[in-house]
Amino acid sequence: MLLADFGTSYCKIIETEDGSPARIVATRELDRSFCADLATGHNATRRSRKSINELTALARGGQQLVNRPDFVLLDCGSRDIKFVRFHEGKVVDMGWNAECGASMGFTIELLSAYYQLDYATIPVPATGFSITCGVLGMSHIFDAVISGASETEAVAKFVRGIALNAHRFANEPEELYLSGGLCDNPLFVASFPCRIIPLGRFVLLAGLRATLRGETPFR
Amino acid sequence: MHQRIGIVGVPPLAIIEAITREGDILIDLDEPQVQASLDQSASRIPRVYCAILRTVVLNCMHLALDRVYIDVGPGKCDCALHTAEVLDDMLRVPVIRTRNQDVHAFGYPLCISRIPLLEKFRRITKGVQSVQPYPVLARCEPECGFWGVPPRDFSLLSLFPDTTHIFGWTRCMENKTPANFDLERAFDPNIPTVFFSQSFCAKAALAKHLAAKHPRGIAIDCDVSAGSSTRAKIEAFLELSGLEPGNRGGD
Repeated sequence: MLLADFGTSYCKIIETEDGSPARIVATRELDRSFCADLATGHNATRRSRKSINELTALARGGQQLVNRPDFVLLDCGSRDIKFVRFHEGKVVDMGWNAECGASMGFTIELLSAYYQLDYATIPVPATGFSITCGVLGMSHIFDAVISGASETEAVAKFVRGIALNAHRFANEPEELYLSGGLCDNPLFVASFPCRIIPLGRFVLLAGLRATLRGETPFR
Repeated sequence: MHQRIGIVGVPPLAIIEAITREGDILIDLDEPQVQASLDQSASRIPRVYCAILRTVVLNCMHLALDRVYIDVGPGKCDCALHTAEVLDDMLRVPVIRTRNQDVHAFGYPLCISRIPLLEKFRRITKGVQSVQPYPVLARCEPECGFWGVPPRDFSLLSLFPDTTHIFGWTRCMENKTPANFDLERAFDPNIPTVFFSQSFCAKAALAKHLAAKHPRGIAIDCDVSAGSSTRAKIEAFLELSGLEPGNRGGD
């Protein structure tokens, strides 16, 4: 079975029967004829035989990967953020922010390319910008640079602001499991005001596998 | 010659009775009545504003009306009070402010019936124009709840099961007591419930507050039309509550 998580910027794909590891393909480079057996993500309906909702895939994946009854899992994607909270093994709260939390991952990636920054080398700033979405937040960077801050400092405050906003969106837990490509961004992970446990980029694929097995974290 | 009377919100029953007695034509200005772009209303009312009241203004820009009744009391909202001022200056016909504080309860059989949710809302909003008692309907055992006002875009209602009970201001609307706050804030903690509000509506605060109090509630807001993210959020909430969402059309 070919499973796919069709993200806005990157697609995560796995073939379940040949034992090969999951692979990541830039969405813009994916063959137009590619069709998965089971998929999730914004292009899933068009590019697969069967699709499931992203938040459902996240919840099912989280339950597979986190062996605890109570936890909060936050997925930060290119375009949106979403979270699920488990209590006693069941989903009891969730959120999906596609407008006011929009384009966080995408703008963080764009900024590093434009300003040629390596997030692994940037220290966490003491404060972050007060921002709610990637697009609106970029004005803060431009204003800070005009006011004399370095581009690196300004982008760092932007990233910290994004992390603080994502933490608030998930209702400010003391511990947070993180899903998505931003797990690989040390500055972003360190910018949260709580303990972060990164789960990587394949949580939704784990949710698709659980769907194949018929496992559901229904309440 | 019958007159064309526009209504906004739920005017007092005595006014509806008088209009129907005269045989005049009632037009619900809260609902889209013309094909024109909503952006046309931006010359009169801000774009970042309640989509229902933007629709009211758009309707008034295009429809030939003889009179408008707009409820501005506790059964509606402050935004309606301010929009009434806009309409008053904009229209050459009387704009009559009402403060509906009717207390006679008609009941809410549609809210708790087993009928497709979209159809329930159609009948409830249409019911504002009637003064007749409701026919008897069997109550169904609820699997899900929808709290809030009638959405600007009814298509999102098709995601819900027929066993969805309606709460909030829509229940007050069917009961013909739009200012009954105790009824408006009531919910059933035993069923998963979507707390809906129009974007930029004051009721969003109550929706968020009640969703936080509800053991299985989620607050959702939507502006002019239900985009894919709004629909996906509702769909996931229903799925993760163990319910099968309805059709996925409407994007």
